[in-house]
Amino acid sequence: MASTTNHASAYSTPESDLGQAAVPQSRWPRRLAVALVVLVWPLIWVGGLVTTYDAGMSVPDWPGTYGYNLFLYPLSTWLLGPFDLFIEHGHRLLGALVGFVAIGFLIASWRGDSRRWVTVLAGAVLLAVIGQGVLGGMRVTMSARVLAMIHGCTGPAFFALCVVAACVTGNHWRRKSVLEAAGVGVSEAGPSQSPRMFLPILMVAIAYLQIVLGAQLRHALPTASPGMFAHTAMTHAATAILFAFLAGVAWWRMRGCGDLTLSRPAAGLVCFVGVQILLGVGTWIVNYGYPPILESLPGSASYRLESKNLLDAWIVTGHVATGSLILAVSTLLAVRLKRRRAVLAEWRSSREL
Amino acid sequence: MLGSRRRFLLRKRSVQTISCCRVPFAVQMFCVWTVGLSCLVLLAGCRESAPEFDVNRVRAMSLEISRDVPTEAALQDVSPLIETLFGTPQSPRWPVEWMATDEQRSLVSLDRLKIAAGGVTSDQENAHTGLYQEHCVICHGISGSGAGPASRYQVPYPRDFRAGVFKWKSTSRSEKPTRDDLMQLLVKGIPGTPMPSFSILPPSEREAIVDYVIYLSVRGEVERELLAFAIDMLDYDTTPPEEDLRLRLVSTADSAEVPSEMTEGQEAIAEVIDDVVGRWTSAEPTPVPPYPELEGDELAASIERGKEIFHGQIANCAGCHGQGGAGGLPSLDYDDWTKDFTTRIGISPDDKDAVKPFRKAGALPPRQIDPRVLAGGIMHGGGDPETLYRRIQNGIAGTPMPSVEISEDSAGKTGLSPDQAWDLVNYLSEMIANP
Repeated sequence: MASTTNHASAYSTPESDLGQAAVPQSRWPRRLAVALVVLVWPLIWVGGLVTTYDAGMSVPDWPGTYGYNLFLYPLSTWLLGPFDLFIEHGHRLLGALVGFVAIGFLIASWRGDSRRWVTVLAGAVLLAVIGQGVLGGMRVTMSARVLAMIHGCTGPAFFALCVVAACVTGNHWRRKSVLEAAGVGVSEAGPSQSPRMFLPILMVAIAYLQIVLGAQLRHALPTASPGMFAHTAMTHAATAILFAFLAGVAWWRMRGCGDLTLSRPAAGLVCFVGVQILLGVGTWIVNYGYPPILESLPGSASYRLESKNLLDAWIVTGHVATGSLILAVSTLLAVRLKRRRAVLAEWRSSREL
Repeated sequence: MLGSRRRFLLRKRSVQTISCCRVPFAVQMFCVWTVGLSCLVLLAGCRESAPEFDVNRVRAMSLEISRDVPTEAALQDVSPLIETLFGTPQSPRWPVEWMATDEQRSLVSLDRLKIAAGGVTSDQENAHTGLYQEHCVICHGISGSGAGPASRYQVPYPRDFRAGVFKWKSTSRSEKPTRDDLMQLLVKGIPGTPMPSFSILPPSEREAIVDYVIYLSVRGEVERELLAFAIDMLDYDTTPPEEDLRLRLVSTADSAEVPSEMTEGQEAIAEVIDDVVGRWTSAEPTPVPPYPELEGDELAASIERGKEIFHGQIANCAGCHGQGGAGGLPSLDYDDWTKDFTTRIGISPDDKDAVKPFRKAGALPPRQIDPRVLAGGIMHGGGDPETLYRRIQNGIAGTPMPSVEISEDSAGKTGLSPDQAWDLVNYLSEMIANP
């Protein structure tokens, strides 16, 4: 068995690694990982607002702000100054806070979690937040719209990584908890068959593809061709419908295995995708008016677009943030399912022995 | 043998060590993303360059077909000339040296152009620059061609400023709009179309955008006219003409100064600039007689008369807009921006093979223009009585919507009297409000 333990992957970590170890596990890695998740989603919102308001270049220098150290920029000028400056500097401050929490998470994992790979994961989180900050800084110093697009693509990936960190440091990762959720000991028949990994992995890939496609539309260069933009928009819309279908299938499959730790995120995913499609249609309408397919809707003929309208800005930014949420929940589903499959495989092999 | 056995054991131990440290699937995916995105960053850093005005190849191709003369030589001379005269999207120029009057020189302000040009920035005082790229470029494109990145699915297509034709204005059909017309469009937007209202912007920023739109329009029209002039008047063919006829500035490439002794080609440049800019400075709103405020029976009678005019032979509005303005009558017609590269040069807009080269050169797909459903609808260019009167009087430039002559002399023959025009306005207002 010792040999089996040594060769086990992160997903098949034995119970002794968490929960029943000789050295009590610290709660700080979990707390800080959750704090990261709680901070990064608003960070994505604020970053989305920066793009919606074209405020990316409202602070021309980096890492400082108008010659000041980031943390010493006068509070009154920040809070009472132009809105563009408020959100851009706020985005940087929030990003810095996330960086500090990531440092804390790395230290807490190193000192308080015996699983070495969690420390590696925490290191990856810290590297990712540093990389994301540097990317944002390069976008400003090089005044490069393409870098803004890439910065917008890496943000959701970082958010998904934080969700993974929160997942692996949480109670649901424990072997006992996984077995309980799978119904081991509840019925004589034992746990039901786990769904295959293919669907959740496909959904992660498609959710990220959607983010990349959306970023292409949102950060389109002034010289981009209308044909390419139109193709991207159509692909984005068609893929959204495909994803909605896959989310429904995933919910059905996860419900079938009777594991609430899987079926609940899957149900959430279905809701998020529904909201996201509505937000996507809203985003097109507030940016470019009613598309011909919706021109029969009442009010479409007299609808007047308003530049920088507050509600419009929140609809567009909400679409961006919900896209990140969908990627994060899809990733959570994939990671949890992988863990369930590994733990149940171990459990079955131990029973056979 | 012992050595190889030891190496084997070491390798086995190292494999076991790596296996112990296997990281989760998500971390592996993160690493893959990181590498992929790093490559993208590197590629992006190499690729992105400041946007440049695109050459009007659609116009060149239209001239080539209509005149049956190659336009590449003309394009080779006109393109650098236009850049010398008007600068770049980052650093626009207003060629005051080539303008005859102070009015032309002050049509746009270079300071305001610089605020509207370039990339988007703002400062601690909330002073924005790059206004055109911030608010307009996604639809209208960097050179004002109307073929911006998001133009393809918009109905109607964004305006191509380069033709110098504007729909919603207070001037006569063939004239340019006034600054006030453009300002009103920015304030009110165009309901029912993708053109938004920019009422949230400070007036100074809207002024800068108006300047930049005029600048793009003048730049684009000068380019169009010079290309035509080169082919029609200056003997450009497969090769450029003799030096005296060439559209070139003799002085240094960066200078837009007027030489003391101009060649024929340079005289053509001055003539075209004077013609295009002069039409902007001479634009005046067409006069509208006072609106007769009517109530009760008088108003009802006026509306009834307007109804007869709407369905009558002279105005014949119902011929396109349908009985009672209910629409439903397809025109099978196109706007002037589409006709420019199709019907006017003998190409059917339905002929996909013939249109394809123009599409590749930057033209948007031909799309029929249908008459508006007036009953219960909203007037894109404004629905107040004065605007409706001008719409009857001037038609809508760039579209099949014709003008109707309004004078006492023509009343009942080929046109309407002012009172009849107001009757028609009253009927239209009633039709819009109470379909």
